Amino acid sequence: MQDQDSKFESYLREFTPHRPQPLEQAALAQRLWPRRLAAAAAMAIGLGTLLWSGRQNRDQNVAQSFQGTRLEPAGNASGSELLLLPMTRLALDDPQQLDAKLTKAARTILPNFRKSDSALRVLAKE
Amino acid sequence: MDKNRLSAEDIGQLYERHGPALMAYACGFGLDRGHAEDAVHAVFHRLLQNPVVMPQNPAGYLYRAVRNAALNARRDGARVTVVDEACFVHAGGNVAASLALQEALGELPEEQREVVVMRVWSGMTLEEIATASDAPLNTIASRYRYALGKLREKLWPYEGQ
Repeated sequence: MQDQDSKFESYLREFTPHRPQPLEQAALAQRLWPRRLAAAAAMAIGLGTLLWSGRQNRDQNVAQSFQGTRLEPAGNASGSELLLLPMTRLALDDPQQLDAKLTKAARTILPNFRKSDSALRVLAKE
Repeated sequence: MDKNRLSAEDIGQLYERHGPALMAYACGFGLDRGHAEDAVHAVFHRLLQNPVVMPQNPAGYLYRAVRNAALNARRDGARVTVVDEACFVHAGGNVAASLALQEALGELPEEQREVVVMRVWSGMTLEEIATASDAPLNTIASRYRYALGKLREKLWPYEGQ
């Protein structure tokens, strides 16, 4: 009986259990996951902060540039004067009158750059 | 009982000696190879992170810890009793015999399976198993004999192949 058991024991030893992967490798794989996630999160936060602060600075610079500069409001020129269809007709019938009309409209619609505190002058000073 | 604290090196040596047997033991709870490996790794990682004071013969602790990890994995829905990939490799390449062994081990009562795995694949003596399991030597010897008898019944068609 004892002999039979040891013979069968030897037979069982012909079977080898699968060796699990090395502990260091498994530990490393387990540790890398959260590290990679943390690195990605840190990069995303950093990038977000950079973009946000860049935008803040830009807005601040623009605000400073235009401080004290007043844009001229659209004065007499109403939108109806520059409607596409009449203007097209005018361009076909009388181009000179169209130029005159556009020049006149530009004076009231566009910001006045001739004043001492105009945006163009402020920018030119910088 | 003599107690000692294990170093990382000791834990590495335990892993080398008992790792494969513990994987076979975890497979015996019906886990597939991947989940069995996860269970064994979980136990050793815990040991590395929080070294515990354990008996001089730590095999008993390891087997109990792997048993708990395997049962937790099963409770959490790990694949159970799908014998599609063997946890053992037969020296002669007999895959059918490997699967039959795995199945036969899975059918053994837990305490008998533990004794067989400890004896055959962890290379422990019956005395060491008795100490590790905190059970009388005679009990361990009879568990072992019963287990071998049952395995022989299942594996005789493959013996000698």
